[in-house]
Amino acid sequence: MTGLENSKYFCLDLIPSMDKDHFYHRVLNEFEEISSLQYQETPSRLPENRVPIGFFCPYIPEELLHAAGALPFRLMGSPVKLSHSPAHLPPGCCHFVKSSLESLLRGELDFLKGIVFSQTCDAMQGLSDIWAFQKRSPLLFNFMTPTHLNSETARPFLKAEMERFKKFLETHLGEVTPQNLAQAIRLFNRTREKIGEIYELRRTSPSRIPETHFAHIIRAGYLMDRSRYLELLKELINSLPHGEAREDSLVPLYLAGNMVHSAPYFSLIEEAGARVVSDNLCSGERFLRLMTREDIDPIDALTERYFASFLCPTKHRGARAPIDALLKEAEDSGAKGAVFLFYKYCEPHYFDYPDLKKALEARGIPSLLLEIDDPATSQGQLKIRIQAFVEMLSPL
Amino acid sequence: MTDRKLNANPYRPIKSTAAYRRLMAAYYLMVKHPSWFGKKIAWITSGGPVEPLYAMGVLPFYPENYGAMCGASRMSSSLCEAAEHQGYSHDLCTYALTDLGSCFTGKGPIGRLPKPDFLVCGNNICATVIKWYEIQARAFGVPLFFLDTPFFHDDLHEHTLRYVEKQMEDYIEFLENRMKRAFPEKRFKKVGSRSFETISLWREILDLAVNRPAPFAAFDAFIHMAPIVTLRGTRWAVRYYQKLKRELEERVQKGVGAFAREEIRLIWDNIPIWYDIRNLSKMLSSNGAVLVADTYTSAWAMEEPHLTQTLDGMARAYATIHLNRGLEYKMEKMVKLVEKFGADGFIMHSNRSCKPYSVGQYDMRREVTRRTGKPGLIIEADHTDSRSYAPQQVERQIGMFLEIIKNKQQGTK
Ligand code: SF4
Ligand code: SF4
Repeated sequence: MTGLENSKYFCLDLIPSMDKDHFYHRVLNEFEEISSLQYQETPSRLPENRVPIGFFCPYIPEELLHAAGALPFRLMGSPVKLSHSPAHLPPGCCHFVKSSLESLLRGELDFLKGIVFSQTCDAMQGLSDIWAFQKRSPLLFNFMTPTHLNSETARPFLKAEMERFKKFLETHLGEVTPQNLAQAIRLFNRTREKIGEIYELRRTSPSRIPETHFAHIIRAGYLMDRSRYLELLKELINSLPHGEAREDSLVPLYLAGNMVHSAPYFSLIEEAGARVVSDNLCSGERFLRLMTREDIDPIDALTERYFASFLCPTKHRGARAPIDALLKEAEDSGAKGAVFLFYKYCEPHYFDYPDLKKALEARGIPSLLLEIDDPATSQGQLKIRIQAFVEMLSPL
Repeated sequence: MTDRKLNANPYRPIKSTAAYRRLMAAYYLMVKHPSWFGKKIAWITSGGPVEPLYAMGVLPFYPENYGAMCGASRMSSSLCEAAEHQGYSHDLCTYALTDLGSCFTGKGPIGRLPKPDFLVCGNNICATVIKWYEIQARAFGVPLFFLDTPFFHDDLHEHTLRYVEKQMEDYIEFLENRMKRAFPEKRFKKVGSRSFETISLWREILDLAVNRPAPFAAFDAFIHMAPIVTLRGTRWAVRYYQKLKRELEERVQKGVGAFAREEIRLIWDNIPIWYDIRNLSKMLSSNGAVLVADTYTSAWAMEEPHLTQTLDGMARAYATIHLNRGLEYKMEKMVKLVEKFGADGFIMHSNRSCKPYSVGQYDMRREVTRRTGKPGLIIEADHTDSRSYAPQQVERQIGMFLEIIKNKQQGTK
């Protein structure tokens, strides 16, 4: 606990702006520190009262993990050199999958007491089996999210998976009481609301939260104790420095892809004179759509939300859904251009891409495709391409 | 490869191949001109439940089987290039790229592909097909039925089975709506029992290769598998496999093998390298090596073929096929194949654009060797697109691998 959680700071509007600045940077530093930690440095920073359990994507109901006393710890890939994983994975897997296995084999993830996979793409499916075969994670669970998300038939199946997961957690971690779960749902909902506010703020006065700060804020939320995260988010919003009204000199962009919020990419965009006004990253705006109803049975509520509006390219909601969802968001955001930031070899995204690009172009939104193989080596190339794209979109 | 060496181990062609060619020509004629036969066409994935389609009188077209044809006739690379030209990534499954390329150009062994009336997609083989079929549903503006079969890592849970069963009902409803007529239960029973018969025949045929010498090689099975995929549930397929089985049984009785010499018996894992089958077959046989079984064609020799006779049974059968199951199952299956067919080793094709077959193979190779004591070789290729294939390197690797086996055999003599 730090003094920041103290209630007296909740009215930061009354505090002089110098102090606000000070608070903002203190909170931001904590986010930055956490989001920049290497796996080896992580164990000393973990909350003592929670069992760290790894997971990869938002199809895992983090609320259940939290309610069982776990710290849901999201694996987001790392720019690690691949030396062990090539003996287990063929070259055609994305770097996200490869680097996660590499970290496991190096022993860097030994602090995790378990890992949860969900059914998404073929590479991830294979990774789960290979991971299990190494026998390094004491606990491993496959959460079988249905692939058909506009099907009434899939609902009872997903609900049964929720129950099966709950039972697994209760056997190995701790009881999930209805109260605990309802509390966890509230906590994650409030967090999503705060993140939503941050997105809104960035749309109306972008200079108040620069791109890299934004990436750190989002990323940290998947790695730290969630109650503390919510407190810090509140502090951050209250202590934000005043910004001027909308600056039109920055080119508004829409960011799509499978890279989670990662500061280097955001800083490249910023340096090029652009800003991300909206995204469909699964660590970003897509996460906001996981709002869970608080007025019905919690397991029903967790089940229902995936059918409400959540969609990623590994799931099916009808043949036109990927296009319609993207067009609506990109147009509503007022972006002048779209950037697709994909891991090389990511089939789900690359299959959608040509039709998405065409649909955007038909609405007058040009796009740029950036492919990431090894994040450690591709920065220089990306910089030039982003700059050229942003320049093309800037007023003459 | 010198001719002298090749002649030293001549291949004995299977006579039924002529009937096979006629059969597939007739099938593709119908597919190409469905209106001549008053048929509607459904495009369907290789692991999709085809029996209800035949029961409804709908003709299935299999883009994957067609992709194999394009690969074998070496037309696939240019079709993939055409798809890449439209923005599709080079790294996508080349069955999908071949199909998309065919649609963009109207080219391929049968020319322009038949327009589907609707699409049936099952993700029991991979997640790739969902995206691929979404694209085609948009391009053709036709309805898509999607059968979702959750992957089966370890246990088959009751609720998973219920989920797939319920979708079989949805499938029938979908077909009734499309065809504007009731689902013919009686006909379905007939189709189901023919499907059962076909699968049983296919399994019995594959099992004949336990004999020494094996009456046919896996390379033959790769060719003769087309009817089990495309015509499962029809009389044609039953008749054809009865004929093929008779011929191969005769070979067994007379002690005739696919090749004159059979010194090394091998198992193959993954989809064939369609464009190089002939060359690889020659290369192996010249060294006295024969592929006696494989994981690709045996995927259609279901362990419980009777399941295809009822809708609920079909749910279980289609939810538990080879590619929808975890690594431990696949390892165990490979071990069983090695043991059952008395193999001296195994070759794994690490297929750059098919993940469900290829992710996990490296661990599988080590583990199968550990459990059986037999060596395994991994070769890099792609199932239909030859552009990144290095045949000489593969031949070298196979040559060295066969030497190891020969040395081992000599050591134990
Ligand atoms: S969805 Fe794409 S980026 Fe994510 S694990 Fe699968 S292949 Fe990799
Ligand atoms: S990815 Fe593999 S299983 Fe899927 S369609 Fe392609 S070749 Fe078949």
